[in-house]
Amino acid sequence: MTSNTKSLQNLYINFLKIVAFLSSLMVLFILLPIVSTVLNQLFDLNGLIKAIQDKAVWDSIFLTSYAALLSTLIAIVFGTPLAYLLARTDFYGKSAIEGFVDLPVIIPHTVAGIALLAVFGSSGLIGSFSPVKFVDALPGIVVAMLFVSAPFYINTAREGFQSVDLRLEQVARTLGASQAKVFFTITIPLTWHHLAAGALMSWARAISEFGAVVIIAYYPMIAPTLIYDRFLTAGLAASRPVAVILILFCFAVFIFLRVLLWGRKNEHT
Amino acid sequence: MGDKLKMLTIILLISLIFAGCSMKDPTQAKVKLKVLHAGSLTEPFKELKKIFEAKYPNVEVQLEAAGSAKTIRKVTELHKEADVVASADYTLIPKLMYPEYADWTIKFARNQIVLAYLDTSKYANEINSNNWYEILRRPDVKFGFSNPNDDPCGYRSQMVIKLAELYYNDDSIYDDLVAKNSNLRWVEENGNFVLKMPNSENINPNTDKLMIRSMEMELIYALEAKEIDYYFIYRSVAQQHGHKFVELPAQIDLSSVEHADFYKKVKVILANGKEVTGKPIVYGITIPKNAVHRDYAEKFVELVISEEGQKVFEKLGQPPITPETDNFEKLPENLKKYVRS
Repeated sequence: MTSNTKSLQNLYINFLKIVAFLSSLMVLFILLPIVSTVLNQLFDLNGLIKAIQDKAVWDSIFLTSYAALLSTLIAIVFGTPLAYLLARTDFYGKSAIEGFVDLPVIIPHTVAGIALLAVFGSSGLIGSFSPVKFVDALPGIVVAMLFVSAPFYINTAREGFQSVDLRLEQVARTLGASQAKVFFTITIPLTWHHLAAGALMSWARAISEFGAVVIIAYYPMIAPTLIYDRFLTAGLAASRPVAVILILFCFAVFIFLRVLLWGRKNEHT
Repeated sequence: MGDKLKMLTIILLISLIFAGCSMKDPTQAKVKLKVLHAGSLTEPFKELKKIFEAKYPNVEVQLEAAGSAKTIRKVTELHKEADVVASADYTLIPKLMYPEYADWTIKFARNQIVLAYLDTSKYANEINSNNWYEILRRPDVKFGFSNPNDDPCGYRSQMVIKLAELYYNDDSIYDDLVAKNSNLRWVEENGNFVLKMPNSENINPNTDKLMIRSMEMELIYALEAKEIDYYFIYRSVAQQHGHKFVELPAQIDLSSVEHADFYKKVKVILANGKEVTGKPIVYGITIPKNAVHRDYAEKFVELVISEEGQKVFEKLGQPPITPETDNFEKLPENLKKYVRS
């Protein structure tokens, strides 16, 4: 080995050290607030046990997960075709549409809530004639969640469709499979991992939404609203156990689904 | 070996430092005076901010509005630095902040509960201070109030509706308007009335009739977006937003010191256990002990209670009162001349 390659190697190791250092700072930044919240709660086990036994806490957590699930399903039904279109076709104004998809990520969520109220409120564009009631009702929660979380699904699904080798689809087509058959038997299985990951992210994002939801529906209370309300009325000590339960619950679901997903991925690779 | 990287790191560090400096520069000169205040003080405080910043150009007044209880909790629980704290219920300051975070309160303005509406509200052309509860009873009318657990305006609204029963001698007003549409119930105790608030998640409002929001200011939009026809709100807020309002009789609207004994007949026990008894609505202000810019905070409070400040409150529908304090000894020197102990 020449000294030249050796020094190159050293350079690379040094580089990795810096990368590792900066990365660990980033991870610490994310973990510290969460871990300290959870650990602080362990010093107040009574509060945690009380919250675990509180039916209102679980009601709100299940309501949140359920509404997020509905929002994710809607995102899948309407977002998958959009993601496919954006990945596979070129048309006039495509980049504008790609920009629109990202808009909900950019606008402050209270603004999103107000904008949604203008459409789904009792005198809004859709709300004024819709037989479904949105304000202070489950459908209101779902539209608010859908608005903020759909981009996460659409963007991940689009990346998935872009990653599929087009030749595989072409081969299937030359063998006589219809376009729809190719989509469901070749494209979807190949992008399955992306679609599932996108759905998971979108679900998680929906669960964490507070700003947009609270404007359109203060009731029924989702978990983030309940936490906010406990903080207002009873202070930190009363709101933290609920927050910790939500963190642990979401984390458990997330890990569970991730493990399922990794399993799927390994089957294919 | 590694020299380039070292150089790179050094350059990176230096540029970071410079970036830090250049970001600081434009704002460095300004003192940031943090004023946390009740939502209903938003408009007069905006005006006071302008006056104050004109007087002291080196100060930037940063206003932060929230429900009164939350405003105080930001200081006592989140340990947020605040230079001035103003609450829509002066009793919250001694209750939640004494002795650790403050030791005096000045009462400086008052307010009253009204029933606000717009021309487009249902039966807007019929409603007046004698029939308002009949209008609210109509099944197609929707109205709102803020969450009594979170917001003084919310529990005061409950008091007003209950006092209306006593005043109009009609003991089903509260039942028809609120109790039938939620889990809120008054019980009689030795001739007085007590509302024990459930936890917020158990208020369980019938959202076809009642709209509840955490803070009174959130209902303004609901009225303007026609989600509701009427809502209980401070007179000042209705006036500042150009809403019409029904003035309720002074015996029930919590505005008058004269009727203080009648107001005492109602008491709300909040979900967190705190008890509030009906009393005239009086605003309180203090400088928390952890204030960073105590000198400017004192000047800001002085502006609030001085004649100049009081004119602002008068104009915006929060009639000022002769400033009063509970602890004259501890007051900053510059404030003493305005205040009656």
